[in-house]
Amino acid sequence: MQLLLTFSRLIDWLNERVGQTAYWMVLAAVLVSSGNAVVRYVFDYSSNAWLELQWYLYTSFFLLGAGYTLLRNEHVRIDIFYSRLSPRTRAWIDLLGGLFFLLPIAILVMALAWPVFTESFALHETSPSANGLLRWPVKLMIPVGFCLLALQGVSEIIKRAAFLMNLIPDPTPHHVHGEDELTPHDLVEGEER
Amino acid sequence: MSAFIIANIGPLMFAMLIILLMIGYPVAFSLSANGLLFGAIAIHYGLLGPELIQALPQRVFGIMSNDTLLAIPFFTFMGLILERSGMAEDLLDTIGQMFGPIRGGLAYAVVFVGALLAATTGVVAASVISMGLISLPIMLRYGYDRRVAAGVIAASGTLAQIIPPSLVLIVMADQLGRSVGDMYQGAFIPGLGLAAFYALWVFVVSIVRPRLMPALPLEAITVRESSGKAGYASLLAVVVLAVAAAYSLAAYEIFHPIWACALVGGVAYIAALADKYLNLQLLSRLARQVVIVMMPPLALIFLVLGTIFLGIATPTEGGAMGSAGALILAFVNRRLDLKLLKQAMDTTAKLSSFVMFILVGSTVFSLVFRGVNGDLWVESLLISLPGGQIGFLIVVNALAFVLAFFLDFFELAFIIVPLLGPVAAKLGIDLIWFGVLLGVNMQTSFMHPPFGYALFYLRSVAPKEEYTDRVTGKRLAPLTTGQIYWGVIPFVIIQVIMVGIVIAFPTMVTGVLDKGTGINPNTIHFEAPPPPDSSPPPDFR
Repeated sequence: MQLLLTFSRLIDWLNERVGQTAYWMVLAAVLVSSGNAVVRYVFDYSSNAWLELQWYLYTSFFLLGAGYTLLRNEHVRIDIFYSRLSPRTRAWIDLLGGLFFLLPIAILVMALAWPVFTESFALHETSPSANGLLRWPVKLMIPVGFCLLALQGVSEIIKRAAFLMNLIPDPTPHHVHGEDELTPHDLVEGEER
Repeated sequence: MSAFIIANIGPLMFAMLIILLMIGYPVAFSLSANGLLFGAIAIHYGLLGPELIQALPQRVFGIMSNDTLLAIPFFTFMGLILERSGMAEDLLDTIGQMFGPIRGGLAYAVVFVGALLAATTGVVAASVISMGLISLPIMLRYGYDRRVAAGVIAASGTLAQIIPPSLVLIVMADQLGRSVGDMYQGAFIPGLGLAAFYALWVFVVSIVRPRLMPALPLEAITVRESSGKAGYASLLAVVVLAVAAAYSLAAYEIFHPIWACALVGGVAYIAALADKYLNLQLLSRLARQVVIVMMPPLALIFLVLGTIFLGIATPTEGGAMGSAGALILAFVNRRLDLKLLKQAMDTTAKLSSFVMFILVGSTVFSLVFRGVNGDLWVESLLISLPGGQIGFLIVVNALAFVLAFFLDFFELAFIIVPLLGPVAAKLGIDLIWFGVLLGVNMQTSFMHPPFGYALFYLRSVAPKEEYTDRVTGKRLAPLTTGQIYWGVIPFVIIQVIMVGIVIAFPTMVTGVLDKGTGINPNTIHFEAPPPPDSSPPPDFR
């Protein structure tokens, strides 16, 4: 079990790093997209490559961030009953949910999407629009993103099992899911700064 | 047994979905697990071919390359940056000063600022938290009724959900296959109408029960002339002058109305700044300050909504430009640092991820659900409702209202709307109208006790224990959770009334579109004929 927990910590570390690197693409997407609008209006010029870059960036950060989002327990739940359950019952739900809900879809999509990527890579597929970008980098994001998600799923399962065996404290991050994670506490801190 | 399963696989799948969702595992994966489970069952019984599952990567790719949804992270990011840019604080302070001396003034200020913030961003948390931190203590200090104060803050914060640019409307447009720009235009009047109703409610309460919302005492009004005058005459003159100038520029077709407003706003801003720094004494302090604080939000509204409505930018680009504008504003106000930027990017990435994975999950679900003709089952249930269009709309809205107690709008929009949209189209309901209607309705999901987000955000910043007021030094009681819950109830009722009004007067939504503003005119009435004569739209002419 200790070995598994080490593996789980390794996955957590990986997704933490990936997630916190990937989120810079949010800023990149903002700059690219606003730049596109300004350039098109002012110079009456638009480039398909730059337009496609918008959604390439978006896709990359939402797919690469999937495992990180799971690590932070931010995938929304309907917690009307869940929030009233004991920590052990919740751990059981997360354990079984991880095994039977999350892993099947993550592995299935990963397996099905891999050949889609290799084919695109082999053919040097480009987008159908003029001056479009190469397709394979964005197609690679599907198997990679779902792989990171599956890995994080495994890590969460290990942590829940270890908790149920009384090896570690409750691993669930304490927070209420929401669209906005900047907590009021942060805001007050910001005021004082 | 198997005959029963085959005959009822659609309803069974739907029932199972409800059970799986209620367990509390993340919605995205419960949805896809349900899809895969029933996909396997359907393939087992020969109802579907295995190629359906093979199509999954293609579906995921389709979700990725969807330009509309790209607006979601932009508007989220913009809201998060704005929340800390200091704009809301400046607005609440100054507008509070402006309305303060009249009865219920602070409540009007909250509604007004709520609507203004709503028109710059699509995120509820920002306005509720700012108003809870800034306006609530002042309201409590000067003896506002606690329920009234809590209700008006929570409700005004949720205006961000319906006044464009809002995330709800983006998702709604995507799920109903309409353009976001049209959805935004359609939602404008109902959204502002709601704000007007909130203000009307404040007015009614201030007449019937004046003690619940007293005017601020004179010592609380700090923005005054040195002579002690309030300076309203000067403010009134500025407003009248600006409106007249913008109106005449637009009326004589010198400029497009949006450009006319932008120009007049810019001139007023420069005049106010000149007055301030060159000490020209043209304007009263109040007028000067109001013009100066109103400018950042108005500029953002122009940058986002103005450019979308003018057809310069797509909603996605409008969101990106709004984000850039918010960054600039935060930078100018010296609020932008690496920590804030990282937090905003972090939250945006996580929100985008969970939203998009719900969409992946609901795609898996609906791929199979349609495969086994579940959509036809839903249609047969809903299309046979008595009362045609109106019967359908009433039932659907009642359903959405109840579901909004348990689900938040992303869940509602991704699970319920794709099932209802095709039926609505078949009944001849304009899908923009339908989307706006559901948007107004789902706004209540933010206000419903006990799970509404707005209530939760307000709770988190409102005093939980007895505290000493900073200004008066008096001991004040905390704001109880019960007071927050009771406070929003009038506003939930206003919301329901608004749903009824939008059902009764579809021209509130569609009338704006019919004028044609040059944005995708061919998508406006794609397959939806105008409403039949059973519910004649009122003729105001």
